[in-house]
Amino acid sequence: MNAALFATNLKTNMKNFFSYGIGSVLYLAMIIWIFPSVSNTDMEKLIRQMPKNLIEAFNFTSGISSADHFVANEFYGLLYLLIMAIFAITTAVKLIAHHVDRGSMAFILAAPQSRVKVALTQAATLVFGLLLIAAIMTVGGWLVALAILGGDGIPFAPFFRLNAIGFLLFYAIAGYAFFFSCLFNDEKRALSAASLLTLVFYVLDLVGRLSDRLDWCRHLSVFAAYRPQDLLDGTAHVAVTAIGLFAAGTALYLIGIALFSKRDLPL
Amino acid sequence: MIELNGLTKTFANGRGIFDLSFRIPEGEVFGYLGPNGAGKSTTIRHLMGFLKPEKGSAAVCGHDCWRQAPLVHQRVGYLPGELAFPEGITGRAFLRLMAGMRGTRDEKRRDALLERFQLNPDIPIRKMSKGTKQKLAMVAAFMHDPAVYILDEPTSGLDPVMQKVFVDLILEEKNRGKTVLMSSHSFREIEKTCDRIAIIKQGRLIAIEDIHTLQRKQRKIFEVTFGDEEAAKRAAANESFDPTRRGRTVDFVVQGDYNAFLDAIRRESVVNVSVHEQDLEDIFMDYYAGEGDGR
Repeated sequence: MNAALFATNLKTNMKNFFSYGIGSVLYLAMIIWIFPSVSNTDMEKLIRQMPKNLIEAFNFTSGISSADHFVANEFYGLLYLLIMAIFAITTAVKLIAHHVDRGSMAFILAAPQSRVKVALTQAATLVFGLLLIAAIMTVGGWLVALAILGGDGIPFAPFFRLNAIGFLLFYAIAGYAFFFSCLFNDEKRALSAASLLTLVFYVLDLVGRLSDRLDWCRHLSVFAAYRPQDLLDGTAHVAVTAIGLFAAGTALYLIGIALFSKRDLPL
Repeated sequence: MIELNGLTKTFANGRGIFDLSFRIPEGEVFGYLGPNGAGKSTTIRHLMGFLKPEKGSAAVCGHDCWRQAPLVHQRVGYLPGELAFPEGITGRAFLRLMAGMRGTRDEKRRDALLERFQLNPDIPIRKMSKGTKQKLAMVAAFMHDPAVYILDEPTSGLDPVMQKVFVDLILEEKNRGKTVLMSSHSFREIEKTCDRIAIIKQGRLIAIEDIHTLQRKQRKIFEVTFGDEEAAKRAAANESFDPTRRGRTVDFVVQGDYNAFLDAIRRESVVNVSVHEQDLEDIFMDYYAGEGDGR
């Protein structure tokens, strides 16, 4: 870690971190706000009539009777994944591959800091951003629910659990994005490799949910570790999942850093 | 201070650098000359530890440039050939970043350099002109008072006034015992400062010469306009400088022999003299011709 580099990274990225964090909370607010208008209505009956596979694929298994489940399905099941995947991938690529592709890495590496230290600082910036966004969403989301729904809003502990595993999921996704960022000289190539892999994971998860015969597909995807509804209900293996995601992510960062420190750079 | 030992790197397209060896002693200003794509930047990237040698090695201050890059960087001020700065920050923030990463506390030298280059660092880098960016990179390379300077095409993008400021700065650093390696594709840009010059072509070193030897080898065309045609004819009668006459004007080709040349034209009335220098390619040709086999 290098303090001066980290400080500069924060300065140039802070606005981005906050826009994603606050933007997500606003989306969440919108979802919570429309909840009363869809709960206990014909909408629910309509959904019940859908084929079982479709219900599973679109996260409607537990219906839309309670606000926290509605939030888990409609926001954490789709929009959140999209927003965070874009953030994790673009930020990871920006922190290494972008500097290498543009050539600005030449200045950074001309300082008497090892490549390992430089890459570690960049990885730390990425993880810090993910943590900050998770914190904003946990606190902001809970407060927004409280304000809109009144009463107890949504229970804090399960909501925290959901966000914590969400953070670890993107810790791992940002991990392979960072790995690609360290691997490729070309920024676009790093971006497409990370996006493609994420898309493949998502499709595997979706296909697995659609068909019982293809259920095994889900286990090939990183999204298998992330079931918003089970996390809220407390039926997921939270500890195992958390340790698994953290270990996989950490390994990816370390491999990326090692690779970056050993390879030729076109600077 | 700088040492290359059989440094070799072949790229996928077959180009690269091949078996480069030279030593630059402490206190020398060394010019690294070659046409674009000859391998100058590739050599410098090895010195900075960005590329791993395929064969051979590069060392600065006794430290291996690949394995001990941070130790090398501690002693080196580096100016990249292509300037790309981190985005979204001002010049001052950039200099603060570089000083922070180096652990440099002293800001006096930085401020003196800013003054000298008349550079206002408090504007966003993306709003700076090419010349201003060049100055900013120069300040970043010089501000920590390193023992060795590695400068990739330092004078490109500088206006004539700033080129002079740069030349003075290099000569000053040389007097303080600093070692400099600078690359260029133009002999003129570095002949004022360099002690020795290496010429590289297609990845191979074809000559390392003392600057004065090279200057003697370099041919210059003196275009002399005489007072009248008769004077021009008389001057052109002397065949030793390969004269070509067009009316009152005569082109002489001079190689090192300046006194003899001046003697030859002194007796006539001269109205105007202009000098054309050979370009790099011609110096190469001369080098081959002069040495028989340059390799």
